[in-house]
Amino acid sequence: MINNVFTIKNLNLFYGKYQALHSINLDIERNKVTALIGPSGCGKSTFLRCLNRMNDLIDSCQIDGEVLYHNDNVYNRNFDVISLRTKVGMVFQKPNPFPMTIYDNIAYGPRCQGIKDKTELNKIVEKSLKNSALWEEVKDRLKDSAMSLSGGQQQRLCIARAIAMEPEVILMDEPTSALDPIATMKIEELINDLKQNYAIVIVTHSMQQAARISDNTAFFHLGELVEYDKTDIIFTTPKEVKTEEYITGRFG
Amino acid sequence: MDFIKKQFGKIKDLFHFNSKKEVVDFIIKLFFLISTIVSASFIVIIIVFITKEGIKPFVTDNGGIGSVNLVRFLTGTTWLEGTAFKSNLYSVGFIIINTLYISLLSLLIAMPIGVLTALFIAKIAPKRLSEILRTVIELLAAIPSIVYGLFGSGIILVFVYNLAKVFGVQSPGGNSVLATVLVLALMILPTITALSEVAIRSVEKDIEHGSLALGATKTQTNFKVVLTSAKSGIFSASILGIGRALGEATAVSLVAGNARSGPTLSFFQTTSTLTSTMLQGLKETTGIDYDIRFSVGIVLMVVILLTNAGLNFVKKRIGNVHVK
Repeated sequence: MINNVFTIKNLNLFYGKYQALHSINLDIERNKVTALIGPSGCGKSTFLRCLNRMNDLIDSCQIDGEVLYHNDNVYNRNFDVISLRTKVGMVFQKPNPFPMTIYDNIAYGPRCQGIKDKTELNKIVEKSLKNSALWEEVKDRLKDSAMSLSGGQQQRLCIARAIAMEPEVILMDEPTSALDPIATMKIEELINDLKQNYAIVIVTHSMQQAARISDNTAFFHLGELVEYDKTDIIFTTPKEVKTEEYITGRFG
Repeated sequence: MDFIKKQFGKIKDLFHFNSKKEVVDFIIKLFFLISTIVSASFIVIIIVFITKEGIKPFVTDNGGIGSVNLVRFLTGTTWLEGTAFKSNLYSVGFIIINTLYISLLSLLIAMPIGVLTALFIAKIAPKRLSEILRTVIELLAAIPSIVYGLFGSGIILVFVYNLAKVFGVQSPGGNSVLATVLVLALMILPTITALSEVAIRSVEKDIEHGSLALGATKTQTNFKVVLTSAKSGIFSASILGIGRALGEATAVSLVAGNARSGPTLSFFQTTSTLTSTMLQGLKETTGIDYDIRFSVGIVLMVVILLTNAGLNFVKKRIGNVHVK
């Protein structure tokens, strides 16, 4: 229990009348990579967005059940969403750098939290870029627009941007689906390095990717959590028939 | 039908077309080209006509009065006109300054208000309210300038007159720089708001979500990310706004007071712009006094062209500069 950052209990989610998630129970472990797999529309991205309350942005979205972050339900009325999002970072499917300089992209989050000191910001920017394996490529052009980077670099910049907040968890929503194989490989290596310091929850369409990088895998189907276990168990001896059918490519 | 088919065949042979479809394609392209030539040639005709009339005061002796000195015309500080005493002492130097001064001031008022309104409509207001506001802004943009002028001379002149009294200044009936700036600001406000709103609305949701996911508040997101992303569109809106301000004649004529000398920097004194100068008494005059208005027209076109070029240059520069 002490090693879990998130404990999800009986989570149901509705978009209007449509129920997208059916009583999900799941624990997210510290310093582990947790992969969420399943066919399109199975609710894995929706589930991911519950963890930092990005579903709040959708008007018709209603939630019951508990998402416990260190024993605090993030859906409690008086829970501070802003501080949750500084602790639980997110990387999106499509790289979405802000139209600013590389430096300003990284400094954006800390600045929003009121950090103004130049030397401190410089340190944060350098450290974040180093930890996202981007420093060597951009150290001479921190004042260039982030839009001038390649897609893979932009995605690593978005990871650096999340790291700059020194979060505890990083959520990744299909972070490599818009990238070429080499950029994908770099991101996967990066994820492997990052798990020493962060819990990572990653939604992926690629089962090979889940098998390569994750420690735990959750298989979602039609809004239900079908199976959740250690990744090598899921991919070698799954308990559920549906899981086996999916990972062997019989549907999805 | 046969006739048309024959003609098609002729064209086909003449231009070595391979099929009927290519002929149709060619004719349609020709049609587009002709439309473009017609519309473009009108611009050329207008420029040629205005230039031809406008250089007359400088190159002829204007029926014995003597030609106008170009340098004096462009730099002088009085507009000496009148059919009673014929003169060649026309100058627009001060009017150019007045025009730029007034337009920039009105932009300075209209831009922040317009952008904040746009942000409210696009991002903050509930859906229903923002639809209503959008319609209102579009209606405001469609109001003819003479109506703004009437509003200006009925309401704003009185307001400025009374305001001047508070400061202990006697404003000539309220006709003044301030009244002109206020009327112009009102006029360009809907343009700037409507275009900025479109620019803000078209900022990708991804970027906004990225900011929120980093723990930024809605307000931080709106000001630091949404406005930054929309700045190029907002700048275009301002360019159109200042274009309208520079070119507005009717409303300005009703509240500017048409000063004959200047430049006027004081808010409560009468002023004049290039457009109001052209318009004033245009119908009742002849000879050099008529022709010189075309010269002013050339100056106006050059001023607008240079302003746009300058602003576009700045726009390109800020495209890469980044807001903290």
